[in-house]
Amino acid sequence: MQMRNKMSVRQFLLKDLLRNKLLYIMMLPALAYYILFQYGPMYGAIIAFKEYSPAVGIWKSEWVGLANFQDFFSGFYFWRIFKNTLLISLYTILFEFPAPIILALLINELRSKKFKSFVQSVTYMPYFISLIVICGIVKDFTNSGGVINQLFTYIGGDGNAMLQNPAYFRPIYISSEIWQRFGWESIIYLAALSGIGQEQYEAAKIDGAGRWRQMLAVTIPGLMPTIMVLFILRMGNLFNIGFEKIILLYNSAIYDTADVISSYVYRKGLLEFDWSFSTAVGLFNSVINLVLLLLANQISRKISENSLW
Amino acid sequence: MGIKPAFADRITDRVIIVIMLVLIIVTAYPLLYVILASISDGAKMMAHSGILLAPYGFHLDAYVKVLNNPGIWRGYFNTFTIVAASLLVNMSVTSLTAYVLSRKGVFWNKTFIGIILFTMFFNGGLIPFYLVVKGTGLMNSLWSLIIPFSINTFNLIIMRTAFMAVPDSLEESATIDGANHLTIFWRIVLPLSRPTLAVMAFYYMVEKWNAWFYASLFLKDRDLFPLQLVLREILISNSTDSLLGSVDLVSAVELSESIKYATIVVATIPILCVFPFIQRYFVKGVMIGAVKG
Amino acid sequence: MKRKTNRSMKMMLTALLASSAMLAACSNSGGNNHSPNASPETAAPSTEATAEATPGTSTGTYPIKTDVTLTRWLDSSYVAAQLASVPEMENFPFEQELAKRTGVKVKYVLPAVNQAKEQLNVMFASGEFTDIMEWNFLTQYPGGPEKAIKDGNILKLNDLIDQYAPNLKKYLAEHPDVDKQIKTDSGTYYGFPFIRGDDFLKTYGGLIVRKDWLDELGLPIPETIDDWYVMLKAFKDKKGAAAPLTFISTPRLFDDLQTGAFYGAFGVKRDFYQEDGKVMFGPMQPGFKEFLTTMRKWYAEGLLDKDIATVDGKIRDANMTSGKSGASYGLAGGGIGKWLQAMKDKEPAYDLIGVPYPVLNKGDKPKFGQKDFSAPSGGNFAISSKSKSPELAVQLLDYGYSEEGAKFFNFGAEGTGHTMVNDYPTYTDTIKSNYSLNLGLYTRATGGPTIQDRRYYEQFAALPQQQAAVQTWGNTDVDKYQLPPISTTPEESTEFAKIMNEVNTLVDETTIKIILGTEPIESYDKFVEKLKQLKIDRAVEIEQAALDRYNSR
Repeated sequence: MQMRNKMSVRQFLLKDLLRNKLLYIMMLPALAYYILFQYGPMYGAIIAFKEYSPAVGIWKSEWVGLANFQDFFSGFYFWRIFKNTLLISLYTILFEFPAPIILALLINELRSKKFKSFVQSVTYMPYFISLIVICGIVKDFTNSGGVINQLFTYIGGDGNAMLQNPAYFRPIYISSEIWQRFGWESIIYLAALSGIGQEQYEAAKIDGAGRWRQMLAVTIPGLMPTIMVLFILRMGNLFNIGFEKIILLYNSAIYDTADVISSYVYRKGLLEFDWSFSTAVGLFNSVINLVLLLLANQISRKISENSLW
Repeated sequence: MGIKPAFADRITDRVIIVIMLVLIIVTAYPLLYVILASISDGAKMMAHSGILLAPYGFHLDAYVKVLNNPGIWRGYFNTFTIVAASLLVNMSVTSLTAYVLSRKGVFWNKTFIGIILFTMFFNGGLIPFYLVVKGTGLMNSLWSLIIPFSINTFNLIIMRTAFMAVPDSLEESATIDGANHLTIFWRIVLPLSRPTLAVMAFYYMVEKWNAWFYASLFLKDRDLFPLQLVLREILISNSTDSLLGSVDLVSAVELSESIKYATIVVATIPILCVFPFIQRYFVKGVMIGAVKG
Repeated sequence: MKRKTNRSMKMMLTALLASSAMLAACSNSGGNNHSPNASPETAAPSTEATAEATPGTSTGTYPIKTDVTLTRWLDSSYVAAQLASVPEMENFPFEQELAKRTGVKVKYVLPAVNQAKEQLNVMFASGEFTDIMEWNFLTQYPGGPEKAIKDGNILKLNDLIDQYAPNLKKYLAEHPDVDKQIKTDSGTYYGFPFIRGDDFLKTYGGLIVRKDWLDELGLPIPETIDDWYVMLKAFKDKKGAAAPLTFISTPRLFDDLQTGAFYGAFGVKRDFYQEDGKVMFGPMQPGFKEFLTTMRKWYAEGLLDKDIATVDGKIRDANMTSGKSGASYGLAGGGIGKWLQAMKDKEPAYDLIGVPYPVLNKGDKPKFGQKDFSAPSGGNFAISSKSKSPELAVQLLDYGYSEEGAKFFNFGAEGTGHTMVNDYPTYTDTIKSNYSLNLGLYTRATGGPTIQDRRYYEQFAALPQQQAAVQTWGNTDVDKYQLPPISTTPEESTEFAKIMNEVNTLVDETTIKIILGTEPIESYDKFVEKLKQLKIDRAVEIEQAALDRYNSR
């Protein structure tokens, strides 16, 4: 009985392989890529449990168990970078995530087609500026004598370089994010908006709904699936703040608010030669991401029937 | 139809328009400032602080320096090479894979998708990744910025969704006519998904255009540096030496201020000129493909 | 199941590795396809490799007959200005001539500016190196030189120097003090040094003040912290200086003050120093709090540069030449010389003076000041353990210590770099017209594997202001308090590096936050507590042991 079962599984697999031969061949490059460049490093990540020494290689380096993780959790800066990562993410979700939605809603309300496309063109622009240039501009504008700094003195700023003050880092980081992305990200919502049937609006009008009511009753519900999907993705990346922008902007005066897990990983791994430790911290970050994503997906499935899979 | 919008409605319109104008100013002014500063007199710019509404004079010295700098041109060239080669690699690998994954009745697809999704939220980290790339021997060539980044999983998922939307009936009839998967892929699925493909190509382009970090680790030859790495030296490390050449310190100090801005303009304007064209395709593509996530 | 995937993955990796190794061998061998790998453990090269690398020539004879091309890595920020006019380092006149004289072709590998440490790090992590690496292994390699050797990154050079570096060997035998500085406690040589051949060359940096402003305002040359306060205040109020005092804060915060300017007035430094053979950590001492209090006051009153945490060389130059600042830290050449030269025509009255390191009470002798050791960076030209021709690299590096080689490094080739005037190698007009660019193109007088000549500095810092400044700056007790170039043992080094990485971050952060006023001065006490939590006492202990070992070398 068992025997026959096994045979049939094998036969089935063989048949599948033959039938979809071409497909599997088409899949090969991607498979190679994922195994080599995605799972390869995961194998390498075992150095998190070792004291990696390049001289003897990954495999022969000495096992140290969870020592690197213990070092990190009991480390002096653990709570700070944990908190900073969380806060920057939360603030980003709070302020940056709604920005393109609001913009899309506003654009949607514009009557002049020409003006509409003009607004779109202008607000898209910053998206095309590279990160390096953005950070260069931000640094320049917030230095003493910079435009933003000067404007800020009118409402109580002290005129000192703003990126020296821990209190300003998050606002600067997040507003530059908004500035760069809100126009572009609104596209996706505008697309979703155009998918809402005109008859729904007509129906709402007949019910006597004004513009405001129409927005609440028709537009926003129509956007909801899109918002949810993007929101889940965002949650999954809650702890995934890229270090590039951070390290381009920060300095030791503002580590207090600016240092996040990924920038810490970068410093440990690339400036302080502490490879195993750095990898351990990165691994921890990855695990948190995974858990958060699964959680967000679950919750969303429960409450709104939208989920990624 | 002929019904005049209510008074309140007109007020709302005005308010929205005002908000929009403010947004436009806030978004565009930094760019305007950069342009104005880049053509201003360096000495006056140094003394200047705050809002700038008109340039101080009209000086192109900074542009002359920037445009005469071989590093910038080489950077452009390298970046274009990377973008072009990446587009080829990324698009072909991603679309082939997306096609396979969008097929029904392929036994291993579920496993593949699991393997692939997992990598979106879990990775081995910087040092192990470096070790792998080094192991491939791609180090210190532009390929090291292309092959190890062949697929962006997010893009792959979007493309798969788009391919799945292609009506089955078309494919079935093609199969009956004796077409194999490659033919279906090439003649039916790809043409029907053109807008999505445009979006993906665009995403990849932006990604490559921006990339600097791995370039700084993988490339050891200054000749190979992409534009962003050159920019980083100038804008972030404030190292304008490479642009100034041999001028005396005072002019160097004055010039480096406008040089920074001129560099920004030179490195940004071309892509800003291209984008209206891409944008049109992009919007179309998003409407069809990405909404479904 | 898991094991299976693991194995197949490994197989795939191996296959790729193998193919890539072949590729690499094909692409960058440049005729380097013979010598067997020198294993990291055996520093002494095998005889057959030697025979091939130097066929028929005895060591010490140049040019060497070889077709091997060596690779050499260095931090490109040293040559950023030169790279602007000659984009390939191989084409610098000095490097071309060096290749001709030694017979050794060199391919230079230069990382992006300010990206050197990152690149070196991944190179080490992956075990991929150039033949020669220029780096301060003593202070910039966590764990120090012994660790670098133990990690299998660089070679122990004792035998190689003994066999193939007659010039350096001779110099070290004649100068035991230098010898002591470039060895580890266990007597290991790990790199070739840059040697300052004369005491006159060891002090070259200090505080610089606008002399014309002092005269105009009728102020004396500042000696005490109080003098400085009065002076900076006057600069601000009467000369309209927006940032009366400025100094560089990159790559580390307050980098310019690391030799003890201002800190020293309060008896401390930002890191370790010694008192009567006892190692002290500056930030733990009460004087550090006083330093912070003073700087905080200065900052609040606008006497310090507003952007002090992010000032770099460019901004400092701009400030000092535009009247935004009247005082800074700088070098005799790259500060006084550069700024005077720049302002000569634009503002003829512009004048600078090097002032003494500040003290608390008039008449005190400054405790600290800038003064290099004979070998300021230890042995910073190291040879990779993966190098296929270590003996050739050693021979190449040894050239700079020969009489002819040292002259070439200091003054360049006769004709292009210098001309002999009354038996004195005088720099050519090309070099004199633009020291900061052309010294780097035609010579390697500073920072090369050579012995620096005082005649270089006599010319480079020939202005009376520069000569006087060097005298003023040199008058300190630094010899008594400065730590010699000690090194930790490989065992302790990892621990030490771990502690100090965290400690330095904390020191920088606290310093800047208190000075900028984002935290109250009282938080200093908490800071000392935190330092203890970070096990600073253990670090002091390790340094103490290292100092004791050094003294008994």
